[in-house]
Amino acid sequence: MGRFWAVFFVASAVIAVGLCWVAPSYGLWFPGTLKGGFGAGVAHSSIGKKIDDLFYLVLVIVAVTYIGTHAVLGYVLWRGATIKPEEKVLFSHGSHSLEVIWTIVPAGILLYIALYQMDVWAAYRFKEFSPKKAEAVAEVTARQFEWRIRYPARGKTLMPTPQPDDVYTVNELHVPTGRPVSISLKTEDVQHAFFVPELRIKQDAVPGLTIPVWFDVDEPRQYEMVCAELCGWGHYKMKARLIAVSDEDFGAWKDKAALEQFDDGFKKPAE
Amino acid sequence: MASRLISINSFAQTVTKMSCLRSPYRLAASASQRNFCCLAVGIAVLLSGCGQGPKAEFSLRDATGELIPAAEKVVKKTLDEKFGTPQNLVAWQRFPVNYGGVQGSVADVAKDGVTTHFEGDLPAIHHGAPLLWLSGPRAGAKTSVDSVATFDATTKQLKWAGSAEPAPAVGDKFVIGYGSNLQTGRVVYMKNCMHCHGVAGDGAGPTAQYLNPLPRDYRLGLFKFTSTLTPEKPTRDDLTRVLQHGIPGTYMPSFRWLGDKETTAVVEYVRWLSMRGEFEKRIDDDMSNDYSAVAMEASAKKANEAYQTTIKTAKKEDKPEKPKTANQLIKTALEEFSKYEKDDLPGVINDTATLLAESWKKGEEADSLIVPTVARVADNEASRERGKRLYLSDKGKCYTCHGVQGRGDGVATEDFWKKPGSDEYYSHRGLHDTWGRPLQPRNLTLGQYRGGRRPVDVFRRIYAGIKGTPMPGFGRTALKDEEIWDIVNYVMSLQFQSAPTKSIVTDHATVSK
Repeated sequence: MGRFWAVFFVASAVIAVGLCWVAPSYGLWFPGTLKGGFGAGVAHSSIGKKIDDLFYLVLVIVAVTYIGTHAVLGYVLWRGATIKPEEKVLFSHGSHSLEVIWTIVPAGILLYIALYQMDVWAAYRFKEFSPKKAEAVAEVTARQFEWRIRYPARGKTLMPTPQPDDVYTVNELHVPTGRPVSISLKTEDVQHAFFVPELRIKQDAVPGLTIPVWFDVDEPRQYEMVCAELCGWGHYKMKARLIAVSDEDFGAWKDKAALEQFDDGFKKPAE
Repeated sequence: MASRLISINSFAQTVTKMSCLRSPYRLAASASQRNFCCLAVGIAVLLSGCGQGPKAEFSLRDATGELIPAAEKVVKKTLDEKFGTPQNLVAWQRFPVNYGGVQGSVADVAKDGVTTHFEGDLPAIHHGAPLLWLSGPRAGAKTSVDSVATFDATTKQLKWAGSAEPAPAVGDKFVIGYGSNLQTGRVVYMKNCMHCHGVAGDGAGPTAQYLNPLPRDYRLGLFKFTSTLTPEKPTRDDLTRVLQHGIPGTYMPSFRWLGDKETTAVVEYVRWLSMRGEFEKRIDDDMSNDYSAVAMEASAKKANEAYQTTIKTAKKEDKPEKPKTANQLIKTALEEFSKYEKDDLPGVINDTATLLAESWKKGEEADSLIVPTVARVADNEASRERGKRLYLSDKGKCYTCHGVQGRGDGVATEDFWKKPGSDEYYSHRGLHDTWGRPLQPRNLTLGQYRGGRRPVDVFRRIYAGIKGTPMPGFGRTALKDEEIWDIVNYVMSLQFQSAPTKSIVTDHATVSK
């Protein structure tokens, strides 16, 4: 039975590592565009790329630790199972120096990660960009179970309260690409979370608060936008899209949307 | 056109509920097996609660349940025959529902099949797709539904399974994949809509009881936010618009990203459910005069009470005859019913189907659509002032429900109102809709537009009213189009007015009293 467990634990580790290794080629890795159709998805925002780098750093540390500990575990189990009766057994239980080593080494690693990640967090929150300084393009209000979005009229700034010439959409957030923009995130009822996986942008919407969220989008196309906080039985219905377009297209879209929204239904009779 | 019913079998698209693996496990004595046993028990515990949900079925109306048993059975049988069950839908061709499928025609007749012609792009045609003949010798016959055996995309050769006779002629029209809209619609509906709107569209899904306002019950054939004139049905565009934009202020969310195919299909499915519901209602209405068991019990009870009071006072010789008991009444009704079923019912079914088909067809016609005859009056101070005067005038009377300030707190919300067609009063103060539920007049200062925020949407609300609610239509009668635009301008400005001063509030309080 001892040999079985040795093989079992080593095999499960090998399978886990193997699956992780091949996952990117099946697109089962980060969401985003795959480089040359292979590998992990690349984030489409500048902060998203930094978050990915952070993730890869943690992944390398964890992978080394995981493989190392499983190799040792396998060896120890196998040795214990195949040991001959006349062989001398080494007991390491209660070894002070070993315990000091495996306390200090992980503590050092964790401290390193804790300090290193602060920079990315600071970049997202205030260092690189204050969300209040980015151009506010829209007010996004979550409610059970949809996203209602309000934009200022073309050439105007977003006001905290609705204005007569505001433009509205539901479940589609239009933003310009290539520069940092921000949204004012609100919720009408319970807690929701604004999540655009391909941008790595996630922010809870909290009742009573207006939370500014900034991001930039590098490629003009449509991105999936979902709710990342279980907000009720219809949580799965909060599927929306972030539609990123170039600056000119953004202006053109807003003109078209405004025209549609202020439609009076009157058709000039043919002369 | 002969009444034809096409049964749409649920091929792969059956409504599946969550089904989980249920692995049987047994308690083993050997120690080595105990671990696996624990695992199995763990899995079993995790999976308990999964499994097949209750079978979906179209519930009957309460009024159907109140009929005498024979009548109830006939209604149920008729509905099953004409509309089927959620598992096996039936497309009744009498109704103007786009049941789906690709239409084509016969270009040439070969020995064992036909060469086909399709308008536009060649659709994907699979083996086993139902093939319905619309014209020619195969149409109308019992063999009118065949299934595709082979289809060659290059030669456009079509062969079908089953009898070759009678052979179709050149120019005959057919539909492949008939009923696909209803099938797709059912899947989309069951996934997204059923939770609130119920399997039969009765607005009584499992979640409905937690919602205020309640989800729409389609079975009256009434939809609130339409672009059509007061008596008309909604258009497909109206339903699509509600589906895509949601209804702010209610629990109806937007289904913007369902996909075109799914959106079209679910709109047809909802129209079909509404026709089914209204069909049942109209048949019920026809029967409830003579064959309602509940009504008979009530009238027998009433007659008996009257009899009991009279015999106490009346002299012995002119004692009134003892009234019939409810059971006797029902027994007579049962005897009469078989005659009704044979002589009258087919006509009632036919007339109801015609009426419904005509009304839904009419809704889609161009002259049912409300199109303003003048462009929006310039939205300026003068126009809003005119609008305000109309709002407060006896012509518009908007303030009686929506309040002097537009806060939805007019005097009508304080009154007790009679139920339509009876002397009974509602138990709650305020307005009620046709479904009999309490209704708040819209607070116009919130900037929340349930039926859409385009000026034309607000124009249509005032022009034709809101179906199923006390909101009347003012177009063509009370107000001219220019006047409606003035009110639109005023109403749409209410959201942006500063908070009312104290004096106005006092003023309003006096008006309410």
